[in-house]
Amino acid sequence: MATDSSSVGADFLRAVLQGAPPGAVYALVALGFVLTYQTSGVFNLAFGAQAYVSAAMYFKARLIWGWPTVWAVLLSVVVLAPLVGLTLEVLIFKHLRSASAVSKLVVAIGLAVALPNLFDIIASFKPASGVTPVGVVPGGADVFYSVFGLYRFSRNELVDMGVALVAVIGLGAVFRFSPIGLRMRAVVESARMTELNGIAASRVAAFSWALSSLFAGVAGVLIAPRFNTLGSSDFFSLMVVAIAAAAVGSLASLPLALAGGLGLGIVIAELNTFLPRWGTDSAWVRTVQDNLTPSVPFLVLFAVLALVPGIRRVQGAGDPLAGVEPPPTARAGRPDPRRALAMRLLGAVVVIGGGVVVLTRGDQLWVYQVTQAVVIAIIFLSVTVITGTGGQISLCQGAFAAIGACTVYQLAVRYDMSVLVAMLLGGLVAAAVGAILSLPVRRLGGIWTAIATLAFAYFFDAVMIKLSWVGGGAASLLRGTAVPRPTLGPWDLSHEKAFLVFAAVVLAVVAAAVVALRSGTFGRSLIALRGSEVGAQSIGISAARTRLTAFAVSAFIAGLGGGLLAISQRDVNYGANFTPFAALFWTVLVVALGSRSVPGALIAAAAFALFEPLVLDGAVVGWLTRERHPLPSLFPIDGKWLFILFGLAAIQFARHPEGLVEYGLSGRSRPARPDRPRGRRSPNTDSAAAGDAAASDQRPAMRGNRS
Amino acid sequence: MKDVLRAAGITKRFAGIVALDDVSLRIGEGERVGLIGPNGAGKTTLFNCLLGVLAADGGTVEVAGRDVSRLRAHRRARLGVGRTFQRIELFPETSVRDHLLIAERVRRGTGRLWKDLLGLGRPTAEETRRCDEVLELLGLVELADAPVERLSLGQGRLVEVGRALMTRPAMLLLDEPSSGLDRAETMALATTLREVQREQGFAILLVEHDVELVTSFTTRSYVLDFGRLIAEGPTGEVMASDAVRAAYLGTYAPPESATARTATTTRTATTTGTATTTGTATTTGTGTATTTEEEAR
Repeated sequence: MATDSSSVGADFLRAVLQGAPPGAVYALVALGFVLTYQTSGVFNLAFGAQAYVSAAMYFKARLIWGWPTVWAVLLSVVVLAPLVGLTLEVLIFKHLRSASAVSKLVVAIGLAVALPNLFDIIASFKPASGVTPVGVVPGGADVFYSVFGLYRFSRNELVDMGVALVAVIGLGAVFRFSPIGLRMRAVVESARMTELNGIAASRVAAFSWALSSLFAGVAGVLIAPRFNTLGSSDFFSLMVVAIAAAAVGSLASLPLALAGGLGLGIVIAELNTFLPRWGTDSAWVRTVQDNLTPSVPFLVLFAVLALVPGIRRVQGAGDPLAGVEPPPTARAGRPDPRRALAMRLLGAVVVIGGGVVVLTRGDQLWVYQVTQAVVIAIIFLSVTVITGTGGQISLCQGAFAAIGACTVYQLAVRYDMSVLVAMLLGGLVAAAVGAILSLPVRRLGGIWTAIATLAFAYFFDAVMIKLSWVGGGAASLLRGTAVPRPTLGPWDLSHEKAFLVFAAVVLAVVAAAVVALRSGTFGRSLIALRGSEVGAQSIGISAARTRLTAFAVSAFIAGLGGGLLAISQRDVNYGANFTPFAALFWTVLVVALGSRSVPGALIAAAAFALFEPLVLDGAVVGWLTRERHPLPSLFPIDGKWLFILFGLAAIQFARHPEGLVEYGLSGRSRPARPDRPRGRRSPNTDSAAAGDAAASDQRPAMRGNRS
Repeated sequence: MKDVLRAAGITKRFAGIVALDDVSLRIGEGERVGLIGPNGAGKTTLFNCLLGVLAADGGTVEVAGRDVSRLRAHRRARLGVGRTFQRIELFPETSVRDHLLIAERVRRGTGRLWKDLLGLGRPTAEETRRCDEVLELLGLVELADAPVERLSLGQGRLVEVGRALMTRPAMLLLDEPSSGLDRAETMALATTLREVQREQGFAILLVEHDVELVTSFTTRSYVLDFGRLIAEGPTGEVMASDAVRAAYLGTYAPPESATARTATTTRTATTTGTATTTGTATTTGTGTATTTEEEAR
């Protein structure tokens, strides 16, 4: 591309021009992101999903219904995008105003998983293969305009930049000159204070949700032509780039987010131009260069975390009246002991009975499915440690698991090591990576942990996995990443049922370890830290060291599970198992069902592996009705419902961080449930409602008032 | 008397605003010292600098003769500086006893990851016994297994005290313990604290603007205003001094009378030998010499 001109200066300028259009789109997303975060405190990871919804709607209207461009844009961007944003605000986030930033983040992650699938089902949308998404101008990708003889902008690119410019000016004008803009600025400063001044903060928040969602819609429609087919995971990775852009301004500054977006686009283009000149010989550089777009944001993000010391204060220095907010904790009630015992017995019966049935009568498919559930349960226990006990959101558990799987592949296949030893080493390697990764974020905590781990997951996905000493590189493309099954003494684990028993034993050991950790010094320190960092410090607990340990332990478990998954499937299978977007669903599932307890993780794993074959495909109903294909008009149900159901279930995390399992266990008849959030009240008996009232009387006593 | 805490020349600026200007104080073994001052005087900032929650821009902090200026908060805590919080900082979803158990374990420093893994991380009988002692001392036995969400604010403060006591502190820093409590609760808390302190002999630094509590509870006090120490000495005298009245009430006190009065009181006792004259009171511009330190009773 850069061969016709030898001048470095001309190349530099060309790269600037080349990077501007994608940079403009990143900036659009980053602006919307910062807008939402600042006005509602939601770190909206569903932003990419919202962009996908608009892009898909445009695709459907324009290409499948054959609407004219104007109407398609009106429907997808002007009507649908703000409508989605408003719906989310009114139905969900409005009720979570006082929840912590991390809880809202989890809710958004659930939506990120649920929304695209929900749209696909409602609109019966399937991105048709062979039909490429089109831009909003005819011939957008084919008509070019040369600028100074340096770079030829396509029509689409000009539209990208033009729309971004209009949007930025418009946003600036709204903020600067309109009354609603003034109110929005006030809400940014302090939602409580604004309300006390007689302004309905919720209405302002609704407006800003609509506005930022409009940005998501615009960005989605603009970026779509860059992809061959529409897929929600592409939009999610687009959003990760935008997060890095927003982080440049510490998630607080709109102008800096704009500059960050443009800057990222340009930096990527510059590197694409100049990197090949420096390091064409080195395979490593080539790998990096091939995957610049996802790796630059990672580097930028970590540079921001490392170099901007004030970032910690940015997070805390929000609302001057924040101290007056009621405490967000929703407590897990002590389960009624008899009920807990009954549930425990029931669980044991189900596990043992299910195990016996599968081992004696299960056919190969069911043995495989159950083995999947058992192995995935080990990985899910890593979420129990880091999120359930530690209260931190890690979005790179997939990368940790992949590290374990790749270690097994490398050591067992290439260096002929015992597979089981390799599996343990895989856990240790993952633990080391986890410990190193925790270094820049362990003092920050909160949403920064989620952001940094997400960036790492994408970096791993884009760069690391393609290196020959990680994922196998070119060799793996030719020969695959096959992993052998081991033999353990007299037992040959290549026999499926023997392997299932082995996996169950590993799971039992890990589960016992997690329980033991939680009741020991480490777990108690971690729970203390989750509750109050300054409180924990005041008795001598080192936040940094405890968090580092938590990351290492969690990564070890994930790595171990990842290794076992590779052994179980006889292949690493990175693309099917461990991608960041796939691993996002792990977090969603565990959080929805119960990240605080081991049974929560087990049930989440069962749901992950068995919900679709058992429920959605109609197996259970089939057994009940003794028909092989029950209700052909109903079953099989679309597998997307798995994502929708559990994505939406994750929404309750803000209120019940203990998850559905424990919430169900705790029963409703306890005398007092402190801190039940106001608003939506579950159908309670009178006595429980009275208990609520008593509990809310105690609420101010708990936190006290700042005098 | 040995000092458990000695701070010299603590200075802290926030973006050009001088929150603390060359503040020095010392607390002797088993002493009950007050730190008072109007809102915004820098009490909490000083408190945080002493504890290592904030890094001071200048000055040194010594705990039992050891320079801790560069240590983080949790290291200082392990050296025997316990604290409570103005806005209660308990660990949600755990019981009262859990709070004390983890503090005891951290103090012992016997926690190891491998022990946890082998199931040896559970509280030992000895640890539980010591927790129960402290619970009894504070009158929290009945609440031992209650989740902290059920506690009233006053009980929560006591749990904080208990948690801090488990670290066997040489001194306890109390950050506005009366905030959010009514008079009766405050007095009950003060009574308990005094009993426990008599039994265990740690020193107390009480940050407070409840004048009555400070007067009844402490023997010696420091007064902060606009980031400077404007007075120190026996609590009764400090409270009576014009400079303190001026700082609190904003009344104008003639310079001569103020110096005259303090001149008489400074004669009495000199432990450190220096009659510390801490500059001019910033609000009214009156020159105020401070009373010297007096042997704590």
